[in-house]
Amino acid sequence: MKRVLAIIAWLGVALLGAAALGKIALDRGEPLNATWFVVAAVCSYLVAYRFYSAFLAAKLLALDDNRATPAECHDDGRDFVPTNKWVLFGHHFAAIAGPGPLVGPTLAAQFGYLPGTLWLIAGAAFAGCVQDFVILFCSIRRNGKSLGEMAREEVSRRGGFIAQLAVLAILIILLAVVALVVVNALKSSPWATFTLAMTVPIAMLLGVYLRYFRPGRVLEASLIGVSLVLFAVVAGRWVAESPSWAQVFTLGGVALAVAIMIYGFAASALPVWLLLAPRDYLSAFIKAGAIFSLAAGILIVRPQVLMPPLTRFIDGSGPVFAGKVFPFCFITIACGAISGFHSLISSGTTPKMILREAHARFIGYGAMLLESFVGVMAMVAACAMPPGVYFAINSPSSIVGGTGDAAAATISGWGFPLQAQTMTDLAHKVGEITLWNRAGGAPSLAVGMAQIFSSTIGGERLLSIWYHFAIMFEALFILTVLDAGTRVGRFMIQELGGRVWKPFGRSGWMPGILLSSAIIVGLWGYFLYQGVVDPLGGINSLWPLFGISNQLLAAVALVVATTILLKMGRLRLIWVTLLPMAWLVLVTMTASYQKIFDSNPNLGFLSKANALAAQVAAGAIPAAKIAETQRLIFNQRLDAGVTGVLACMILVLIVEALVQWYAILSRRKETVLHESPYVATRWAADYSGAAHGDD
Amino acid sequence: MTHASKTVARLLRRFWRGLRECCGDAAYERYLRSPATRCNSSPTLTPKEFYVEQLNRRYSRPNRCC
Repeated sequence: MKRVLAIIAWLGVALLGAAALGKIALDRGEPLNATWFVVAAVCSYLVAYRFYSAFLAAKLLALDDNRATPAECHDDGRDFVPTNKWVLFGHHFAAIAGPGPLVGPTLAAQFGYLPGTLWLIAGAAFAGCVQDFVILFCSIRRNGKSLGEMAREEVSRRGGFIAQLAVLAILIILLAVVALVVVNALKSSPWATFTLAMTVPIAMLLGVYLRYFRPGRVLEASLIGVSLVLFAVVAGRWVAESPSWAQVFTLGGVALAVAIMIYGFAASALPVWLLLAPRDYLSAFIKAGAIFSLAAGILIVRPQVLMPPLTRFIDGSGPVFAGKVFPFCFITIACGAISGFHSLISSGTTPKMILREAHARFIGYGAMLLESFVGVMAMVAACAMPPGVYFAINSPSSIVGGTGDAAAATISGWGFPLQAQTMTDLAHKVGEITLWNRAGGAPSLAVGMAQIFSSTIGGERLLSIWYHFAIMFEALFILTVLDAGTRVGRFMIQELGGRVWKPFGRSGWMPGILLSSAIIVGLWGYFLYQGVVDPLGGINSLWPLFGISNQLLAAVALVVATTILLKMGRLRLIWVTLLPMAWLVLVTMTASYQKIFDSNPNLGFLSKANALAAQVAAGAIPAAKIAETQRLIFNQRLDAGVTGVLACMILVLIVEALVQWYAILSRRKETVLHESPYVATRWAADYSGAAHGDD
Repeated sequence: MTHASKTVARLLRRFWRGLRECCGDAAYERYLRSPATRCNSSPTLTPKEFYVEQLNRRYSRPNRCC
């Protein structure tokens, strides 16, 4: 009887999900309500988790709860800590959820809501969650080894080296692009700049409190810090309204870029307890609060989705970024559907804390489903505002026109009616000088979030507070990615340098710390500066570059996973990782080719460089602008080179893997699986990790 | 105490413990309880030493994502 009821319930969930998906895919009438998106996503996730992840756990990976995990075998209370599965889910989700699932879908909304939403749901279920789950499993079976180590052992030495280089490359581009999102969010906004600047002294105050007065009391310190940050959001209005203070905090793109580079250098070189860690605590609390509030807001307000399902820009002529819906929708969405960077968290930190193998399903597959849901909410927030406003915020002035009237006319001409006065009024309501040309995703998401929040609490009166709360939330946790990433990059450079000259690799040697911090900041800082001075706003070229590198890293992870599964004798089910891998290779190779060689100067780096060079040769550029144009030409060629190198790296890795796979399948070589030896668990079947006499 | 209030108290205790685990407040207690610490002959770290050492270790590898 129970079984029959379960079948009926799951059938109901599946039918409801299918009906909601059908509604958002086929409805062409009145604007849709956001509830359809939530229902479609949640039902799809439930079905995917209940059936597909169970299939993977039982048939593909054969998770074994009788096998002791690394946390049990090496429990040291430091790295290897057996952790309750709900707590570890929280840790893992906090680690994988960054700005990507918020910014990517917001930018991809230029194609309309449909392609992005479908890819967020399907991509997560069949690719992203699978990658996170399988890599987590592989790392658990190898004592928590990193992706690079697994690539070296299971694919080849060269494969491991390529994976490590790919990680460094993606890190540099990631840091540059997220810094650019912050610059575009804070540009000419004294309120937002003041609020974010205040988070630095607040974090240092917490750092001293936690280090000297109450060591390790993170909860109470974070509550004090969050209260101070929320006060800074409110105080930002007083700063913006004071002419003299507003002037101090009104900064242009270049000044903000320099300030962020100085911050990144300081966070990397200063002791971690002083700035980096306390900021991370603040960010984690505010991130959890804001994501939960956004979900609650969407469910309470149930806004209408005003963006059409498909826009004319699927043909590649979009103003937010160039390129057709295939492959650029997938490249732009990136982290919300599948993110290569997650494989670094799934191998390394989380596997050392997992209590039982079966928990890998909930943590690896489940946390990625939740991240995908964050992406769907960002898509709803971006599509709930009038499309004209969305394009006004996200389009560079060089495309839509320099004045409000010209831009409104261009955007209205695309079929998205807009009055210049609407943007002036909206900017006034949210407490900004202007909302035109604020590419990067953060301001438009903040407008969307503020409209949803203010419809729940406060009405239009609180719109400006909610807007700046949303901007602070996005900038705060983007900077957390930036400072933590800069520090990790510094360690990577010190390790590489240490191979050439030993003292450089010593973690406590101050000249080495300063030089390696300067090198990593210089590397991402260059790309950031290039984005800030780019006439198209930088996001146009940098976000696709980031998407390509991120998806390439995901392909690397899936190559490693496929190799390990082949060695485990899972040939019949190899499509589980092989198909997403093949799809990612197809998408990234097409995108890389188009970004390098496409003849449209808005899309292809080389054709843009050649078009600019031709203008210089023809004397069409004023003498004062020649040096700047030459720099633009160099940057376009550099971007082409970086894309080409990334694509070549993955091709070499695939060739390496194919050689391995051929050797395994033809039995030319003895298959060696580098798993840790089996150790039976000593824990009782109901042990949940909460124990040690607590309950 | 009634059965219901006992259940509520147990749930609250559980929530509080989960929150402390999530935030990292319970990290030092975990460290003291771990078999490696109990069997180790070298001196155990003080709360201050443990806090700084734990942060240095955590932030030297990828722990925040895009």
